[in-house]
Amino acid sequence: MRTRRPEPHTLSGAYALDALTGADLVRFERHLARCEQCEREIAGLRETAARLGAAAPADPPARLAEQVFAATARTRQLPPASRDRAAPRLPLLARLPRYAGAARSPGPGPDGSPRGGHAGRGGRGRAWPPRLALALGAAGLILAGILGVSARSAEHQLAGDQQRSHTIAAILTAPDATILTARVSDGGTATVVMSGHEHALVFVADGLRPLPASRRYELWLLGPRGDKSAGMLPGASSGMTGPALASGVRTGERIGLSVEPAAGSPHPTSAMLLVLAL
Amino acid sequence: MGIRDRRVSVPPGPGWADAPGADLAALLGRVARGDAPAFRALYDRVAPAVFGSIRRVVRDPSQSEEVTQEVLVEIWRTASRFDAGKGSAMAWMMTIAHRRAVDRVRSEQRSAERELRAASHAVAYDDVAEEVEATLDGERVRRCLGSLTELQREAVTLAYYGGYTYRQVAGLLGAPTGTVNTRMRDGLIRLRDCLGAGQ
Repeated sequence: MRTRRPEPHTLSGAYALDALTGADLVRFERHLARCEQCEREIAGLRETAARLGAAAPADPPARLAEQVFAATARTRQLPPASRDRAAPRLPLLARLPRYAGAARSPGPGPDGSPRGGHAGRGGRGRAWPPRLALALGAAGLILAGILGVSARSAEHQLAGDQQRSHTIAAILTAPDATILTARVSDGGTATVVMSGHEHALVFVADGLRPLPASRRYELWLLGPRGDKSAGMLPGASSGMTGPALASGVRTGERIGLSVEPAAGSPHPTSAMLLVLAL
Repeated sequence: MGIRDRRVSVPPGPGWADAPGADLAALLGRVARGDAPAFRALYDRVAPAVFGSIRRVVRDPSQSEEVTQEVLVEIWRTASRFDAGKGSAMAWMMTIAHRRAVDRVRSEQRSAERELRAASHAVAYDDVAEEVEATLDGERVRRCLGSLTELQREAVTLAYYGGYTYRQVAGLLGAPTGTVNTRMRDGLIRLRDCLGAGQ
């Protein structure tokens, strides 16, 4: 995969055809986040690809409709995206500023009904102390907003969660912290804040496909000496999954994400939905 | 299902990007607000296109149904993320469908049978390309595909309908990856211009 690095611009066709995977995909999306012209081109090529797809319609079996409606009746919808007017394919990084509002907006109503006029769960505000927010600076504040949404629900469950919050804060505020972002092939976007100095990273994802109770997302460190579990992801809250912490991480390693049995696996048993070079 | 309201259903004619697209976007907006009847109407409009495109990539009928169901539920779930300023509702939905279809094919390729399947690829891809051109409903699409060079057409159809990555396409065609990338891009651009889509 590393032998040849194609010029990003030439990859727009392959990207629109979903023919990019792994590192190629990550690299192209990173390029895309900085290239408005590419974004316009991709939009046009996507329309064209969609024409190819729609050119051969076939009626699905009649039973499918009822199955789909039964499934949607018990599927929670993602909240209206004050935070996300961008297409889901855009890397999270490009959309970060939008999250500032999202972290403070009310979530969806109970059991997935989209919220009407009411304010959802109350008190959804900044979960992070102001001095930390100051230390984080503007970009960090936004990140803290993202992380705060799910960190708060963790706080309710785990009184002893403070240590973890401190560790997360240490990574976010590390002078060498870098933000990486990538699409998860099964849906959703992952953001990793990595500190080589702390040998640790914080992982957060947005819009991951919901899993049945028997399965969970597991993080992996993919190193030269084999794959090592970096922990299970918590369940999603308001479409956000995480934050998850992984330590013992070195720059140059890769992090991966796969779907595993809920109890976790010692080694990956399904395809990586994401591979990100650290 | 998928038969009601056939007159505005797929395949979209030359007016693809016009009125029907506009009310698809409106429908999707209602779906985003949890409107179940709107979702049923949307289903009737798009399920045939979604199912058809998935089946072409996935091939196996029962798996295609599974993926179609996942995609339609995903459309319901993420309808609020659709942004009409970024493209048409149809393209948004077909993008979800295609991604899910290729993900399914690729995770299968990673399974134990991968090696076995690799051996049969050389035969399979001829089928894919041929069948696509023989059965495409869209007269325009077929004609426009016909206007591409052979390498452009093969690169585009193998990737889109075959669900292959560009590296796999390069392997199948015995062409350098750089060439394949370029052909995918200029092939799609030529298609776009021929179809008049995506300005």
